[in-house]
Amino acid sequence: MNYVFQFNVVWDHLPELFEGALLTIQLSATAMALGLCVAVVCAYGKSAGPRPVRWVVAAYVELIRNTPFLVQIFIFYFSLPVIGIRLTANTAALAAMTINLGAYASEIVRAGIEAIPHGQIEAAHALGLKRLQIFRFIIIFPALKTVYPALASQFILLMLSSSVVSTISAVELTAITNSLASTTFRSFEFYFVATGLYLAMALGFRAGLSAIYWVMFRRGRAA
Amino acid sequence: MKIALRFVAVAMLLAMPAILAAPPARAESTLDKILKEKKIRVAIDVGNPPFGILDKDGQPDGSDVAVARQMAKDMGVELEFVQVPSTGRIPALLAGRADVTIASISVTSDRAKTVMYCNPNGALQIVIFGPKSIAIKTPADLVGKRIGITRATLEEATVPKMAPQGTNIVWFDDISATIQAMLSGQVDAVAMTSFAGKTVADGNPDKQIETKLPVTTAFYGPIVRPSDFELRQWINTWLFLNNQNGTLASIYKKYTGLDLPQLPVF
Repeated sequence: MNYVFQFNVVWDHLPELFEGALLTIQLSATAMALGLCVAVVCAYGKSAGPRPVRWVVAAYVELIRNTPFLVQIFIFYFSLPVIGIRLTANTAALAAMTINLGAYASEIVRAGIEAIPHGQIEAAHALGLKRLQIFRFIIIFPALKTVYPALASQFILLMLSSSVVSTISAVELTAITNSLASTTFRSFEFYFVATGLYLAMALGFRAGLSAIYWVMFRRGRAA
Repeated sequence: MKIALRFVAVAMLLAMPAILAAPPARAESTLDKILKEKKIRVAIDVGNPPFGILDKDGQPDGSDVAVARQMAKDMGVELEFVQVPSTGRIPALLAGRADVTIASISVTSDRAKTVMYCNPNGALQIVIFGPKSIAIKTPADLVGKRIGITRATLEEATVPKMAPQGTNIVWFDDISATIQAMLSGQVDAVAMTSFAGKTVADGNPDKQIETKLPVTTAFYGPIVRPSDFELRQWINTWLFLNNQNGTLASIYKKYTGLDLPQLPVF
C-alpha cells in the first residue's frame, strides 16, 4: 500500500470542521443539561412517586434503554411528521439525545438516591424541613455527588454517540467530515482529524465536568 | 592474489553490458496478482438501484453486478464482491480492500485526482423529483425550498452548483434516508438518478412524485487505484470488446429499460 497522505486539504477545510464541532458541543451540552433535569424528575418519581408515576417512568426507561439510539432518532425525524409534528434536524437530534440521556441518567441518579441512608431523611423530617427542602438538600445533592463519576461518563458517551445524528442531516462534526471526505476523497485524512477533534472534545468535556464538580460539591467545604 | 583480482576485474568488465541490459526488477502489478491468485475483488454498492441491489434471495444483482460477473468470467478468474455503501466506494479501493470498484461512479475531474477511471460503461441522469403539490419549474423556483441530496453522489457534486442562492440544501448519508425525508415531508424535493426517482414514484403512487428539473447527464465507469495501469488497460480492452458485441447495451437495457447511449472513450 503506497498511499500518499495529503493533509493540506484538511487544513483548508479546518473552519468547516470547527463549525461542525461547535454544533456537536452545543447539541451535547444542551442535551446534558436538559437530560439531567429529565433524569432527576424521573429518578425522584420512580423512587418516591405514587404507583402510576412509577409505572410510567419505568416504561419510559425500559423503552429507551432497550431500543437503538439510531431508531429513536429516525422516529423523531421521520415518523413524527406523520402525526403532524415537524421538527428540524437539529431539534429532532436534540430531542432524541435528551430523551435518550434522560433514561440512562435517571437510573444512575436513582442509584444515588437509593444510596442515601433512610435515617438521614427521617432526621430531616424530625428537624421540620419541608418536602422540597428535604429533596433538595438531603436527597438530590448528596445523591448527585455520589454518582457524579458515572453521570460524567454517561455525558461523554452521549457526546460521542451524537455522531449518528448526521443520518438525519444535522450538520455536526461527523456530517461535515462525511461531506468533506466525499467531495475531496481524502477520507483517511479527514477521519483522522475528526478522531482527534472528538478526542479533544471528550477531554474538554471531562475537564469541564470536573470543574463543575469542584464548584458544586467541593468549594468551601474543605475547611 | 594479484592475478585473482585481475581476473575478477576482467570478469566484471565483461559482464557489464549484460548487467546494464537486464530489465529492471518490476513490482508485481495488481493485474499480475489477480491472474496469479485467480481471483478479482470488485467493490459494489448494492443500495443503489438499478445498478446494484440485492435480489429476493439476498444475492447481489443490478447492472454493475452483471458487468462485474461478465468481466470476471471473461478474465477467467473467480469473482469476490466487496459490498460497500456509496460513501465507501472510493475508500475501499484506496485501502486495498478491492482491486476495482464497479459502482456507477460518474466521471468527475475531482474524483480523478485520487482514483483512475476506466472508460465509461453506462450513463445516468440526475433529476430533481418532488410531490405534485410542490411547484418547481425552473431553477429559480428552488429558492426557499428544502432539497434533499445524498453524500458522495453526483448530486452532491452538481446540485449545489446549479441551485440559486437561497436554496436550502439538506445532506443525508444514504439514498434511502433522502427518499424517506421526501416521503415524510422533511424536504420539499430530492435530487437523485432518474432510475431511482422512477422506482420511488412507482412505489408510492399516493404521493404523486414527478420529475421537476433535469440537473445533469453523466457517464460512469469502473475505477482502479492510481498507477494500476495494466489493470486499467485490460478493463478498457474488455469494455471496448463488449461495447462492440452489444453485451454492455443488453445489460443496460435489462436493468434500466433504456437504450445505452453511445459511450465516449478517453
